Amino acid sequence: MSDSAETQNAVIEYDPTFLHSRREAAIIFGVWATALVWSVPYCYFNGYSTLASPEELQTILGIPSWVFWGVGFPWLLADVFTVWFCFFYMADDDLGEEASDAGSASSSDAGAEA
Amino acid sequence: MTDGSASLLLGQATTGTNAALVTFLIYMLAVFGLAGLSSRLLQKKNFLSEYFLGSRSLGVWAFALTFAATSASGGSFTGFPSKIYSHGWVLSLWIASYMVVPICTMGLLGKRINQVARISGAITVPDVIRERFGSALFGLLATGLIVFFMSFNLVAQFKAGSLILKTLLDGVSLFEQTSLSLGTAVGDIDFLSAVDPRYLLCLLTFGVAVIVYTTYGGFHAVVWTDVMQGIVMVCGVMLMLPLALYQVGGLEHATQKLSRMTPPRPGTATLRVDSPSSENVVIKPGTWLATDDEAVRVFRVTSGAVIPAGDAAVPDVAVLEITTPEEIETIGAAHAEEIAAATVRITDVSLADYAYGTEEIGVYVTGPGPDPSRSSGFLPFSLAFSFFFMWAISGAGQPSSMVRLMAFNSARTLRRSIFTVAIYYTLIYFPLVIIFCCARVLMPGMDSESDRIMPAIAVFLTENIGYGWLAGLLVAAPFAAVMSTVDSFLLMISSGLVRDIYQRNLNPDVAEKNIKRLSYLATLLVGTGAMLGAVNPPQFLQDIIVYTGSGLAASFLAPMVFALYWPRANTTGAVSGMLAGFGAHLGMYVAGRFTNGSFFKPYQPYDIDPILVGLVVSFVTVFVATLATPPPPDGLVRKYFHKS
Repeated sequence: MSDSAETQNAVIEYDPTFLHSRREAAIIFGVWATALVWSVPYCYFNGYSTLASPEELQTILGIPSWVFWGVGFPWLLADVFTVWFCFFYMADDDLGEEASDAGSASSSDAGAEA
Repeated sequence: MTDGSASLLLGQATTGTNAALVTFLIYMLAVFGLAGLSSRLLQKKNFLSEYFLGSRSLGVWAFALTFAATSASGGSFTGFPSKIYSHGWVLSLWIASYMVVPICTMGLLGKRINQVARISGAITVPDVIRERFGSALFGLLATGLIVFFMSFNLVAQFKAGSLILKTLLDGVSLFEQTSLSLGTAVGDIDFLSAVDPRYLLCLLTFGVAVIVYTTYGGFHAVVWTDVMQGIVMVCGVMLMLPLALYQVGGLEHATQKLSRMTPPRPGTATLRVDSPSSENVVIKPGTWLATDDEAVRVFRVTSGAVIPAGDAAVPDVAVLEITTPEEIETIGAAHAEEIAAATVRITDVSLADYAYGTEEIGVYVTGPGPDPSRSSGFLPFSLAFSFFFMWAISGAGQPSSMVRLMAFNSARTLRRSIFTVAIYYTLIYFPLVIIFCCARVLMPGMDSESDRIMPAIAVFLTENIGYGWLAGLLVAAPFAAVMSTVDSFLLMISSGLVRDIYQRNLNPDVAEKNIKRLSYLATLLVGTGAMLGAVNPPQFLQDIIVYTGSGLAASFLAPMVFALYWPRANTTGAVSGMLAGFGAHLGMYVAGRFTNGSFFKPYQPYDIDPILVGLVVSFVTVFVATLATPPPPDGLVRKYFHKS
């Protein structure tokens, strides 16, 4: 491959930090959706009912069981996921050097939209 | 019972201790010390970048705690505990999305917005928007929305901070005396004469302190005080949790007692004395009264009343009847002397039922939770769904969060900070639910003044173990929370005025010396303006905070997400999305004015919050409008998306 062709390929290649960030954002959105689908319906179907008597209430470690399984337990799992995500998955991307203050030059030299 | 000019019948929960005053003074000294250190940094670095962004140099602890403290506004330690106390365990679902809030609010945009800000040399959020789209007008639109929303929010936060400080210092003799003197001094000034002097003193103290240290120290002062405030908050919660669990006899015991509780009944009554007094008889809010019936009925006076001299009764006084037998027993034992000594009798009682939960067993340990006005309960399914959106997704759309995401120094710092904030929130929010469920058992009957439950329970827990001075630390937490939010908002507005409007549009060649003066002046003026606005603030403060927070997210999240992650995103699409999100969200509030009678009671079809509507409309609009218009210039796409 000639030098000029290599240069052209490099120009159209997406920035790895952008690609990593987008992939990580998609995963985070998925985790949020999973937490939503777990917590809200679980609590609704197991915790939104009238008690005939106080003895009907089931607890785990003093917490109503619907709260324990619908909020407490997934919260614990979310923390475990966060540990994995932050320490074993998320890339240490190069964020780049600080450009000169945007206000010190014209607003953009890369082109402006009408 | 009378005492000279007026009588005091039974006391309120005492919250003021000298320890609170000492804690507050030590705390303020530390804040000013940190501001002084920050000011030294300003002398050494590029002023604007340092003053408004801390030179993009924040490490893990600074970044994590400033992010956490700014997000946790005063509401976390006043409104949230009050809601737990009033509605029970269902608040765990209300706050449940905090399990993913750190990873969402920091991880969704963090790395990429930091990178784009570096590429463009942006210092503010409008800077990022202006540079990414190459549009000065779009930058101005973003600045305008930020200044609009945050100015209202700032007034509300000033009032919230002052009220918290007033609660903190309530009953401290030095504070009471100074307030009296201030009241006398401003008595002749029309603008101030109708204002409660205690509130005015707190507003002045709080306002001047925040304005001075923020103006003097800039971003680093805000960040370092946030770190201290963040530590105060988590220490407060970690101290209260074991104390509450120990004193309530274990969580199992507390939950079982909660399960037997039924909501109180609000209403009105006539209060009487046996014979007319020669002086006014004052009945303070919070006074306990009981009937002489065989089955004793216990009431709490919820708004103060006066039986005028010469009269024997005052009608239509707001009261609350306690309905749970166990609560009546506890209150009877705790306030036996007060109730026995009361010379006021309660008659002609007229009570209303809660719209949801009246006489319902287990209503505090199940969903949707009792509610005095909503027949579908406190947290119906659709609202629970909306709140999952509200905290995690709209939190990511707050410009005050975005600007912090532009300030960390490396991706490694971001990773570690997400983890730190996740643990931090876990240690704060779920324990708060436990603490204030216990508080309902330990201090029953505070429904009418549940906003005071945080300082009240702090004093109760610490005095019970003989360490009353600890209350000072515990009640400093809510004050720290609101202060850390106010200072950040203050800086965002002044950066919008100085950087985004003046330097970027009016005078790009302005000298650094002048920029410095203007930045100090803008911060000072914005803060003073907000403080003056809070002297006679508009009503519906909490509603203003909700409206502005959700409005910012509806306006900014979609344009920012597409700007960072979609090379095809163009100015037309992003501007349309910003305006459509703003308009749709506003439209729900305007519709509420006609359907519910108040702008701050937004139209909510199927209990869906306006934030959900605003976000959906904004995302769809950006997408459709972008595809319908020409792609952005290649130069911009290359600059922000291609490998250099």
